[in-house]
Amino acid sequence: MPELQIGLELWLFAVALGTSMLGGVLGMASGIFIVPILTMFGRIDIHTAIGASLISVIACSCGSAAPFLKERLTNIRLAILLETATTSGALCGVFLAGLIATPVLYVIFALILLLSAQQMLARRKETIISLAGDPGRWAALRINSSYPERAPDREVAYSVQRLPFGMVLMYGAGLISALLGIGSGVLKIPAMDTALRLPIKVSSATSNFMIGVTAAASAGAYFVRGEIITIVAAPIALGSVVGAVLGARILMTVPNDKLRLMFVVILLILALQMMLAAFGINLLGRAL
Amino acid sequence: MALAPQLEQVLGKLLHYGTLLASAVIAAGLLLVPASGAMGVRLATAGIVLFILLPVVRVGAMLVFFLRARDYRFGAIAALVLLIIIFSYLVGAR
Repeated sequence: MPELQIGLELWLFAVALGTSMLGGVLGMASGIFIVPILTMFGRIDIHTAIGASLISVIACSCGSAAPFLKERLTNIRLAILLETATTSGALCGVFLAGLIATPVLYVIFALILLLSAQQMLARRKETIISLAGDPGRWAALRINSSYPERAPDREVAYSVQRLPFGMVLMYGAGLISALLGIGSGVLKIPAMDTALRLPIKVSSATSNFMIGVTAAASAGAYFVRGEIITIVAAPIALGSVVGAVLGARILMTVPNDKLRLMFVVILLILALQMMLAAFGINLLGRAL
Repeated sequence: MALAPQLEQVLGKLLHYGTLLASAVIAAGLLLVPASGAMGVRLATAGIVLFILLPVVRVGAMLVFFLRARDYRFGAIAALVLLIIIFSYLVGAR
């Protein structure tokens, strides 16, 4: 267990603040950066880093939910339904985390970082929203809904498609979230965009809403296990909240291609380093 | 669906003020650490627990709402999510 040092606390706060702010600007979860940075530069044990990252994921999800709910972008009925799958996945992730060897954890993390880089390059395209006239097979669940679109001002109706496929992907997202301490937006977003065929704004808001519950399912288990170390997790949580608030102020300018490309490069470097770390090599970190 | 926007308002407020409360408790704990070590750490830990419980309380609020609206199917779904979370904590404690 790391000793309490003011310097370390401030560094953790700054890391969370920076990643949370940039994450907000780019519209992606910052959790994916926290674990690699803590393990590589901070030499913090990966399980401690994962626990702290999960608290940050909860803080970001809860802290940013209100505006989406107010604008009626979040589909709460669909969210609670999909949460049965994400929390089941988290439960299995908690179980697996105790069995998987640390080097394997690093390899899985590297693969998820690569996937994120690929997604950031590809960008999200609006899939053709199913015709409002086609209620789909799940209309009886009343999970079909509509959201207000500005410019032009109108109400856009949408229906949920391919629910079972979406549930399977959500289970996987929950499992990866619990295993790696990330929000798993990298898996949730494609599930909602392509399997469920939701409009981008709805899938972003609903995914963000669900991430908190998914992370809480595993974070609670890790807390009971004693894997959430307060002096690491506390400054990370606080930095994430402050960073998210600041990020929301800066936001609303479309991220330009250069910034996007820079992030792809960072993701690739982190993926490479995580892969090397699996074999006990650390290129970036300071010497012990 | 007339009741849905109301639930959205309630959940938005719950998550917003819950985040503020948990953050304030963590900040107070961290600021106390230089003065009274263990006491501050304990307070910060309480803040972390608040964060972990906040989404769980949110699911609980949805459960109550669905039951009141006599939407028993979604009430059962919310209850299932709560059960899975509790089960996960039991797995952790094992």
